[in-house]
Amino acid sequence: MSDFECGPISYVTKSGLKVLDRIHLRLSSPEIVVINGPSGCGKSTLLRSIVGLNRARVAQRRLNGRDYHEKRLALWRSKVTLLLQDAPCIDGTILENLEFPFRFKNGAEKSFSRDQVLKLMRKVQLGHIPLEDPISRLSGGERHRLGIVRGLLWAPSVLLADEPLSGLEPELADMCFGLLRDYARERDAIVICVFHEERLAKNADEWLRLEDGTLHRVNPC
Amino acid sequence: MAHYIELTPVDLLVAIGLIVIAASISIVLKLGLTRSLSIASARCMLQLGAMGLILKKIFQINTPLLVLGWLLIMLVFAGREAVRRSKTRYRWINLDTLLTMTVSSIVAGGIVTQMVIKIHPWYDPQYLIPIFGMVFGNSLNGICLCLDRLTEYVRSRGREIELMLTFGATRAEAIRNGARQAVRTGMIPIINNMTVAGIVSLPGMMTGQIVAGASPMQAVSYQIVIMFMIAAANAIGSMSIATLAGRRLVSSHGLNLPGQ
Repeated sequence: MSDFECGPISYVTKSGLKVLDRIHLRLSSPEIVVINGPSGCGKSTLLRSIVGLNRARVAQRRLNGRDYHEKRLALWRSKVTLLLQDAPCIDGTILENLEFPFRFKNGAEKSFSRDQVLKLMRKVQLGHIPLEDPISRLSGGERHRLGIVRGLLWAPSVLLADEPLSGLEPELADMCFGLLRDYARERDAIVICVFHEERLAKNADEWLRLEDGTLHRVNPC
Repeated sequence: MAHYIELTPVDLLVAIGLIVIAASISIVLKLGLTRSLSIASARCMLQLGAMGLILKKIFQINTPLLVLGWLLIMLVFAGREAVRRSKTRYRWINLDTLLTMTVSSIVAGGIVTQMVIKIHPWYDPQYLIPIFGMVFGNSLNGICLCLDRLTEYVRSRGREIELMLTFGATRAEAIRNGARQAVRTGMIPIINNMTVAGIVSLPGMMTGQIVAGASPMQAVSYQIVIMFMIAAANAIGSMSIATLAGRRLVSSHGLNLPGQ
């Protein structure tokens, strides 16, 4: 079981706009949380703040009773991993794009399984594409699905995903959300997703809305 | 008596005739280079003339403090020139280039003057000033190329760097590919120079020594030492600036690109 705590998180832009106002997240696995809110309300900023990819003020980052200070951000990110918006990829083959995190110092204890890759690629309907093909042959939607495969292979305790379903057909979006939900259940993990699809948000364990810098619980109808 | 043919002011006037030929071509072909050619020639004469007078004085006085002071001035100017030529700007760029040039020139120039040539006294300006001048001039080019390549990498592949950071890469791991490419770029000119040395062109120092009456084999030996010294200075300089600039451009909080 994973206990995750992050906050209070505050983020003020250079022009003085308060985007995040002392948000405090406390979650226990297994759980899948969906965050949505109006465009530009700071959803991506919140996820980036959790992993320390901006200059937000974050008082505490804590996982399973252990504190992660500024100097241990890389280790924190190896356990609390963000799937970035627009699913960026590295220049290289599809296989290299899935394998590269396992070469980092913080990935040394994890093992990369090709069988697991093939299984997940089939699940997201990318099984027909050879792993040795260059990443440039993938479309935007395919890159999003590859990003989800990369995250699931990496298997962090907390997986954050910034609009992981954008550009996907409804059936594919359902299937990918199902994969994320199964991951949380089967691996006893926490998944926090940002997306707009209310239809899918209703299937989450918790549905939060970010507005005016604070998070509110939404009751699914 | 000198072993070379001494030049008189009249000889220099004849040489100016060569610039007149170049300027005439510019006028005939309407290249619009006459003015800049004239200014460049005048600056070249004045700067070298002043340098000649200063060096003459330093050689006469010959004290370690004066020699080191002159090297420091050369170092500061080289550092400023490296920043001026580079397309990159960030907050600590002046300090980084100065540190880099200091380290690379002390290591490479120090080994050559004190352990290879073994100059005596250790500050002999006849050797120290021209040799360090060559280190500064060449490190400057390497640093500029390296810095521009690194910034270009961070700018064009910033998303890849962020992607690596999100998967637990340390800052050094995330910038490693870019730094490697930048160091390689910084070293290309000296590798090219070493490859064609003696075939396509006779390097400047060797030419100078042969004209001054040194035996060709001695001139070759000096040139080899100088080229290896420049290669080492470029490698140390490129590696240092890539490390320092890498730390400024990518922090553990992501990208720190100038203008963002």
